[in-house]
Amino acid sequence: MSKNAFLAVLTQRVGFGIFLLGKLLRFIFFFGFIFFLLKGTNRLAGYDLNQTLLFFLTFSLIDTLSQFFFREVYRFRPQVISGNFDLVLVKPVNALFRSLMGGADIIDLVTIPPLIFAVAYIGSLLHPGILHATYYILLVFNGLILATAFHIAVLALGIITLEVDHTIMIYRDLTNLARFPIDIYKGPAKGILTFLIPVGVMMAFPAKAALGLISFSGVVWSVALGVFALFLALRFWNFALKKYASASS
Amino acid sequence: MNKYWQIFKISFAQEFAYRLNFIMWRVRNIMQIILVYFLWSSVFVDPSRQVFGYNREKILTYVFGILVLRAIVLSARVVDMAGEIANGEITNYLVKPISYFKYWASRDAASKLLNLSFAAVEVIVLYFIFRPQIFIQTDFLILVSTALSVGFAVVLFFCLLFLVNLVTFWMPENGWAAQFLFIAIITEFAPGGVFPLDIFPAAFQKVLYCLPFPYLLFFPLQVYLGKIGGLTLVGGLGMAGVWILILILAVKVVWLKGIKNYSAEGR
Repeated sequence: MSKNAFLAVLTQRVGFGIFLLGKLLRFIFFFGFIFFLLKGTNRLAGYDLNQTLLFFLTFSLIDTLSQFFFREVYRFRPQVISGNFDLVLVKPVNALFRSLMGGADIIDLVTIPPLIFAVAYIGSLLHPGILHATYYILLVFNGLILATAFHIAVLALGIITLEVDHTIMIYRDLTNLARFPIDIYKGPAKGILTFLIPVGVMMAFPAKAALGLISFSGVVWSVALGVFALFLALRFWNFALKKYASASS
Repeated sequence: MNKYWQIFKISFAQEFAYRLNFIMWRVRNIMQIILVYFLWSSVFVDPSRQVFGYNREKILTYVFGILVLRAIVLSARVVDMAGEIANGEITNYLVKPISYFKYWASRDAASKLLNLSFAAVEVIVLYFIFRPQIFIQTDFLILVSTALSVGFAVVLFFCLLFLVNLVTFWMPENGWAAQFLFIAIITEFAPGGVFPLDIFPAAFQKVLYCLPFPYLLFFPLQVYLGKIGGLTLVGGLGMAGVWILILILAVKVVWLKGIKNYSAEGR
């Protein structure tokens, strides 16, 4: 399925090139912004330049990985509206797997290796110990579990409400709030973003763990939250499937 | 003129037909502003701190000003034009006694009015939630200059977006990719919509000022904040004016070439 998705993108090379350029430009703009901002202010919410860059790069890595794996979610609405989702349901492949990961994005595949290199380089400048580096990797995986849960919930909501495009963009906007250290938010906003809509746990906790700011119990609690969110999302998906009316087929 | 007034009214009504679409777009704008607000609030925890020529009052005015200016300048319906060219719907307009340019200008005006109305309410609500210090400009001449620069920005953005959409005449399947690059990337950053451009080194700013993008959001806000005046103000308005002339000319030339290339595919 991913091979087909790659070939489909490569048939439109101009579009591929423009999208890749766009993603690179956005990354460069934000990277430049953080660099020049921290040059002028020295610290952002108590973090220095390299630490702030680690937050940004970790956000970029988790965001890009989830877009790479879950691009098919962006194509789910037409399937439900047209009734073509029936054809997915009758095939001998898990309908959730097909809808979630049925078309990986080759554009993101291009950007993932340099991002991993950048994370490793900036991370090494901060000299984390083996324990904190392990926490970091574990929490990045946990971030991906939370991202999976979010995407499954979007799919389920899509079956019930026929609305996917805006829900996924709202999800993207919410995660974008963790592009900078979550500590910039004050009062209830910080609590909401960390615990209620756990973009803080998803995007910011790995970088905090690498900086030694998350304890073992914090890591356990975060992983438990990720597993619980995934469990809830799967239950929601099963509930939504029962509501699918196959209306247009 | 009456027909364009009718298009304006119909387009305004159409915006309400897709309410969820519109509300989600506004929610997304607010979320972006919340990010920028908290970011700058954390930089300017100390109200007396001066960074990049801004104090807390001026930077928060910049953030709120962006919300309003985005509604006036960047809200546009002309984004739908690429789809009409790609699927051949533009043929319907070519055979009608109507200017395609004015048609989209009328639709854009309707979109801007609706977005501005919502942005005004959002600014009031956000103001009462965050209670930020806001800089109120009282100099009449500066306010007139701000209004003039905003007017220039509206025309500039319309021409730029129109031109980007015309690419679809040659690349019907990639018109949306060109739009993505222009709207999602270039107009997010180059006009200062996420952060003020004066955090960049002076040499980079000089290059940016030679392009049309800073005149969309950054320049009008600088004028409002009183950071630009005198000859710099006149020079900036002149540069924006020159870009408008260049872009109008470019739109006309590319439109004529595009129409000759158009083969009504899909019809």
